[in-house]
Amino acid sequence: MSEPVARWRKRLAVPATPKSWRQLVFDARNPLPVIRATVMIGLAVLALTTPGFLSRPSISSLLTTVSFIGCVAAGMTLITLSGNIMSFSLGAIVGATAMIFTASVNWGGLAFGFAAALAAGALLNAAQGFVIGWAGANPIVVSIAALSLVYGAIEAVGADGTIYAQAGVSYGLFKGEIAGIPFEFVMFLCVTAIGQLILFLTIFGRNLYMVGGSLRAAEAVGVRTWRTISGAYLWAGMFSALAGIMLAIRYDSASMDFGVGYEYEAIAAVLVGGTVVKGGEGSVVRTLAGALIIAIIQVVLLLKGLRQEWQYLLAGLLVLAVVVLQTRGAGE
Amino acid sequence: MRKFLRSDQHVRPLGLLAVCIIVLALADWGQGRFLSAATAFSTFEIFATIGPVALGLGLTMMIREFDLSVIGMFSMAGCIAVITGADSPWIGLALALAAGLAGGLAQGFIIVRLRLGSVGVTLGGLLVFTGIAAVLTENRSLPYDNMQLALALKTPLAGVLSIRSVVALAIFAITAFIMAATRVGRDVIAIGSDRRAAMIAGVDVDGLMIGIFAFSSVCAALSGVLVSYSLASASVTAVSVIIVPAAAAAILGGVSLSGGTGRPLGIGVGVLVLAVLSTGFNAIGAPPYVNDIAMGAILLTVAILDGPYLMRRLSGLRRRAVRH
Repeated sequence: MSEPVARWRKRLAVPATPKSWRQLVFDARNPLPVIRATVMIGLAVLALTTPGFLSRPSISSLLTTVSFIGCVAAGMTLITLSGNIMSFSLGAIVGATAMIFTASVNWGGLAFGFAAALAAGALLNAAQGFVIGWAGANPIVVSIAALSLVYGAIEAVGADGTIYAQAGVSYGLFKGEIAGIPFEFVMFLCVTAIGQLILFLTIFGRNLYMVGGSLRAAEAVGVRTWRTISGAYLWAGMFSALAGIMLAIRYDSASMDFGVGYEYEAIAAVLVGGTVVKGGEGSVVRTLAGALIIAIIQVVLLLKGLRQEWQYLLAGLLVLAVVVLQTRGAGE
Repeated sequence: MRKFLRSDQHVRPLGLLAVCIIVLALADWGQGRFLSAATAFSTFEIFATIGPVALGLGLTMMIREFDLSVIGMFSMAGCIAVITGADSPWIGLALALAAGLAGGLAQGFIIVRLRLGSVGVTLGGLLVFTGIAAVLTENRSLPYDNMQLALALKTPLAGVLSIRSVVALAIFAITAFIMAATRVGRDVIAIGSDRRAAMIAGVDVDGLMIGIFAFSSVCAALSGVLVSYSLASASVTAVSVIIVPAAAAAILGGVSLSGGTGRPLGIGVGVLVLAVLSTGFNAIGAPPYVNDIAMGAILLTVAILDGPYLMRRLSGLRRRAVRH
């Protein structure tokens, strides 16, 4: 073989040895895709073979319940992506915005109610994001403090019970179904779409991934990290406010009990969906998948006659498993 | 003022405690509602509930980790003790503590061996423990038919203490001794300050970390058992009831969120500050939300003052103001 040909061969040679079929099917260093596929298929088979799962009331209630937590989870995704793990105050914000919405609708009509609740959710959360991003305050502690403050403040203004919608108030088309799909689920899909568009099409979204991946690196290339983090919290507050509004509409009333425990179910959906705890990797669509997976498991368990408590335990085990598997898959 | 708030972390808690007591005494103004044995007793009762949890959580914060699972362990241990301790409370206590030890060791092992962040793992732990508690109690409040024990736990000793608070104080004393007088204490601070340096210096980082997570779980379990016994019932505790004051107490007590500082006695004083505030507000007839707001405000303030960027940002602002 002449020398130039050998040189060209060397240059053209594909460096990677072809993957063996074994590696293609199951890569021991990254078992996540396989596990994910197995779980999905198993879940689908389990759900479809459970009698009553495909009945209309079952599907409809599944889509409704998943939407309340789903909206909070979509917001939580942004917080997790920003590298701040989770917020403990989103549940309190759901309750507070539900109360603000009901009170404002009673006072000034539907449009005013929407505006007031969304503004309250955005403000309460953006303030936390600002403190976290600007001063570097610990996100867990700030959100715990906010939880305490929100509960205290709502009680202080004299609303520690339940507020009911006035007799004249009509939520019209917000109650019921759109083309056979519960209104709540339509809202949830909209929230997911908005969240995903923000992440993938805006500069803010790109910065968010950068900030979550490495705060220092983002700062070094000139990202104003505190703005990005505040923005993530602001959107999370708005999405949670939407969950509060939908709860208030559905039950024609509002109380602080509405949001209790939502932050845990939300973070479970985020992590099961595959967003990385450390931040910087994940998406809102994944959270949609995570929320649906958890909801389907819950419905199947319920239809199989298991008490509700088992769902909590299962969700916990699922989260633990996902957290452990995640970092294995990411590799060293 | 800034020096008082930021640098002298071992004096800060004591100063705060003094300020709280003086302010509340002034607010009461000689009516004897605040400075009484009854108030002191209930202060120590709150101390007994929150103290051990705050101590465990604080130690995990000292090594720059965060054990979220304490709240779940608190509930689960109480439920286990009430269910298994029907015949003998000691058996219930032993089993609950064993569960706490196992849960803590498992979490510590996962965190250390798989090099995972503690918040994620203990979040999973929290959900699992709470789930187990919910399954055990069937989401109801479980009664415990041993009123004698409940009464015995609540009987005042020496006027202001009870068995519960003596146990809590003893845990603090032992931990403080270990941290101050043995190598373990210095190793813990070393891990919190610079983990890699500590490892190179020969500290058994992995072992100590697992040990601290086990300690934190056992402390939470013990507190949960004693609370359930003294209330003669067990249920799934609302999360915010325990974690808010526990985290606040640890931070008030001089534990930095960036690790490497803090003393058990400081945490103890931090718990006392919160307990005094809560009973004090109650004694002078303030509405219950005042306590929530005060606690949240304190936690938020300290979190901001503890923020690593705060000083840099403030000096940046000042520089900009000077330039204009």
